[in-house]
Amino acid sequence: MSTPAPLSHEEIQELLGAYALDALDPDTAAVVEEHLDGCVRCTAEVAQHHEVAGLLANSGGTPPAQLWDGIASRLGGTSDDSWDRLAARLDVPEPVSTGPHVVPLDPARRRSRLVAAGAGLVAAAAAVVGLVFGVQVDHLHTQVNALQATSRLSAAERAALAEAGTRRIPLADPARTGVTPATIVLTTAGTGFVVNDRSAGLAPLPATRTYQLWAVVGTRTISLGLLGSHPGIVPFSVAGSPGVSAFAITDEVSGGVVQTANQPVAEGTVRV
Amino acid sequence: MDVEQASDANLVVAVGRWHEPALAEIYRRHGGAVHALSRRMLRSDPLAEEVTQEVFLGLWRNPEKFDAQRGTLRSFLLARTHGKSVDVVRAEESRRRREDRSTRETATAAYDIDREVWDLTVAEQVKDALGALPDDLRRPIELAYFGGRTYQEVAVLLDQPEGTVKSRIRSGLGRLRVNLMERGIEPAGAGL
Repeated sequence: MSTPAPLSHEEIQELLGAYALDALDPDTAAVVEEHLDGCVRCTAEVAQHHEVAGLLANSGGTPPAQLWDGIASRLGGTSDDSWDRLAARLDVPEPVSTGPHVVPLDPARRRSRLVAAGAGLVAAAAAVVGLVFGVQVDHLHTQVNALQATSRLSAAERAALAEAGTRRIPLADPARTGVTPATIVLTTAGTGFVVNDRSAGLAPLPATRTYQLWAVVGTRTISLGLLGSHPGIVPFSVAGSPGVSAFAITDEVSGGVVQTANQPVAEGTVRV
Repeated sequence: MDVEQASDANLVVAVGRWHEPALAEIYRRHGGAVHALSRRMLRSDPLAEEVTQEVFLGLWRNPEKFDAQRGTLRSFLLARTHGKSVDVVRAEESRRRREDRSTRETATAAYDIDREVWDLTVAEQVKDALGALPDDLRRPIELAYFGGRTYQEVAVLLDQPEGTVKSRIRSGLGRLRVNLMERGIEPAGAGL
């Protein structure tokens, strides 16, 4: 079939009903889709037609259970949302290093925090106010990138993770010895992922709060972006900031902060 | 996350993080409608099951394609179901044509059978709203939507000009929306 002639806005509009019902030939549908990319009004009309068409389909009742078994078997895993499963999907090897490799970012701050924890909530709050985590923020991604927070890893990202030299850096909970609620996966190219075990890792925050990721580079602390209130896997990049010595996650107000006065809820150093 | 309490939009976000219970909950809520639509269009259990699986696996692989600003999850899933079913219908039509059977004859027979099945399962208000449309607006929609036909094919079946059918599908959907709202159904809020 030859390429359809260019269509005016009005001509496209006349096609929207048929388009919404998949009643156009593929070439004409492609022309409409190209128009929809830049036309809010027509996009809204198609959405309305889809809603109406959706009601024409019956409610369907209870979906067949055996059909779900077939779907689940093709998802590539069990329903256990654990690190092991996530790591398997990411093709990330187990860490080869041995021995303790998670240390507090700063022993002085760690001592203060432990004292505060022992003295109760009021003292803890006072300590939080009095402490400034991060000397200077010179690189801040304050906007929540919804796509970054919700989309999965692309094939290219997965390939990067399978590269030799990719490291896994556990982030320990400074208040709970031996607990590592999240993990950083970092490639040699500087692409990284925060991986939070959603069932046992960082707890969900209220909607007014967000987790924020930080990197320590030399004496500076850099925001790497917001992770949302209950992150799963969130990509980030430190490609422009070589020499990261540590990562930390804090609990902040939605929208994040330029520099934090809060204690990390998870932190870990990068072994060179 | 309590998936049973979560909104559809939040479930899709969870699916974006590989949370299988979220996909299972979406299937529980909308799998019946997806399966019923594909079965109605394809009149084949194995083909309908394959389409249903593809629709949910598609959501699992590319959850970002659902845009909550543009409509409900149910209408998104049903639009996907419809598109995939249409592909199968057209491939089948192509096969039938090669077998030299009359498209018109096949379509008309299937149309009559489909109406009987559909009448048993769809909500009364929707039936009522569709029934309130004049025949010349209703039939093009039914033949295109449930028959998986292009508007040009519908024009042949109904022996009407293509441009007329194209316009009637659009104006019919607009009228149907008004009819639904008059009967207390707000299409934009369906499925949430």
